[in-house]
Amino acid sequence: MNLSFKHIDPFLTTDQNKASRWLSYIGLGIGVLLLLCSIQMYINIDALLKNKNAKKDGYDYISITKKVTNENMAQDHSFSDADISELKKLSLIDDATGLVANKFLVKATGGGAVPFTADMFLEAIDENFIDTLPPTFNWKEGQTLIPVIISSDYLELYNTVFAPSRDLPQVSEKTLSTIIVQLEFIGNSGTQTFRGNIVAVSDRINSVLVPKNFLEWANQQFGNKVKSDPSRIFLKTKDANNPELLSFLQQKDYHINKDKTKFGRVKQVLQMIVTGLAGFGILVVLLAMVLFSFYLQLMIAKSKENLQLLLTIGYSPDWLSKTVAKKWIPVYIIVIIMAVVVTVVLQWSFQHFVMKDREGLSPFVNWMVFATALLLLILSIAINFRLVKKLLYKL
Amino acid sequence: MQISLQQVAPTFIEQEKIASSQVWNKSIVFQPAEKIQIIAPSGSGKTSLIHFLYGMRKDYSGDIAYDEKNIRGFDAEDLATYRQANISIVFQDLRLFTEQTVLQNLNIKRQLNPFHSENKIAAMARRLGIENKLNKLCKTCSYGEQQRIAIIRSLQQPFDFLLLDEPFSHLDDNNRKIGLELIEEECSLRKASIILADLRPVEHFKADKTLNL
Repeated sequence: MNLSFKHIDPFLTTDQNKASRWLSYIGLGIGVLLLLCSIQMYINIDALLKNKNAKKDGYDYISITKKVTNENMAQDHSFSDADISELKKLSLIDDATGLVANKFLVKATGGGAVPFTADMFLEAIDENFIDTLPPTFNWKEGQTLIPVIISSDYLELYNTVFAPSRDLPQVSEKTLSTIIVQLEFIGNSGTQTFRGNIVAVSDRINSVLVPKNFLEWANQQFGNKVKSDPSRIFLKTKDANNPELLSFLQQKDYHINKDKTKFGRVKQVLQMIVTGLAGFGILVVLLAMVLFSFYLQLMIAKSKENLQLLLTIGYSPDWLSKTVAKKWIPVYIIVIIMAVVVTVVLQWSFQHFVMKDREGLSPFVNWMVFATALLLLILSIAINFRLVKKLLYKL
Repeated sequence: MQISLQQVAPTFIEQEKIASSQVWNKSIVFQPAEKIQIIAPSGSGKTSLIHFLYGMRKDYSGDIAYDEKNIRGFDAEDLATYRQANISIVFQDLRLFTEQTVLQNLNIKRQLNPFHSENKIAAMARRLGIENKLNKLCKTCSYGEQQRIAIIRSLQQPFDFLLLDEPFSHLDDNNRKIGLELIEEECSLRKASIILADLRPVEHFKADKTLNL
């Protein structure tokens, strides 16, 4: 049978209630667009915030210090061994380790290359707490070249604030390792200069780290302290936002630096928002399809007599339902393709205008968006077809 | 291709009427290229019989078989094929698309399974005197004109059996004669059988078999 819809079109009442039909097309378009953009945005967030997520192997790392108040300002604010073992005993805390800090004056200079001088602080921590530990991070007595790990925040601060204000060159992670910083250690017994070489950048520890054995030796040499209690403790825990943990720390008057986990939290929240938007998009799509199914039911109800007569004079119900359903396939294809095109344009504009062509973010739409669009298309056609068939067979 | 009725009787007709009928509850076979006249007074189930044979209703006991296949077992698709190629009908209540033109009414049937080209429609319409009505809406035609439209419509497809339910009730003698001639020509073209059901014997119709319902 080489008949098509145009042969039976005059016999059906299709232009009733045009408004609801167009409303459902628009609804479908908006819903699909929302869904596709949400998926793409989720992927964008993932890409943009990738390096900043300190949560590795499912653990949060936070640092705590003892609160300095007006009352206790004069006291020693370091953590004793007893303090540390108390923390380790907590079930919520998987591990705790102290940061050793320098107990003497340290000056850093850029040497010939970068003309600046600053008072420095140095810290050291147990190796298993460091997230980016290169094999070169060790020191032997007598060695004057010291490996240093700095926080990625400091690098960003330097590049975005410090360097431009002093007319200094910006530095990328790769060129860091070529810089040698002069470290002047000034103590009671004298001064010694070491060369610091930045070997890694840490996302987790917001500090300037040197090998622990080196700092302990230096503290003894220049600071005349046999043993130094840490004033900062790093905690390894499954969930830094656990209210039990937070209340314990508050009780002990420990101040929490949740800088890193906050960032992870930000990513979580953003992705939750986007997921919510996607859910809303799906809802809109569903509503549009329900509205369209009402239109179909109305159309078939209004054309009931003619459809029944067509069946009586020998038209195949299968052919009728396929032909009636096929009438709307072009519309779905157009609506969904338009939504995809808009998503592509939006993504490119976002990457170019908003993110200023930032590296790491693709200007192109992810394949998952196309896959979702295709899935939606297939689903909407299939559902439509089944609905028409069901309605026609009931006649 | 034959149609056989095995003890067919409508479930809603009184036993006396069934007992005195030559069709109900009997074994009957309609052969190919046969002309059968069924005489049925009002209330005897004439239209019901036509509807049973067309597969439109199933409220009867017994079996009707087309080409040895029980039509009670036909699903919607089987019925569609049956009505496209094996059986055609002129309904007593005509069942035309009133909001469409005469030509649209004829073509919607012809397109499904054409036996003739579109030109033949005009020729048939001319023969039955309704040529000038082709582009008019069906509902503007008189009942007699609509009957002639229904007859032409039934002749647009191939068939082995043509069912006619009081097809000439609103036609004068001359139009009846012309209508019958057209029908008989078309049926012999197809070597098809005619089953004509009416209240009384139809003039000019030379039946091979006459049955009282």
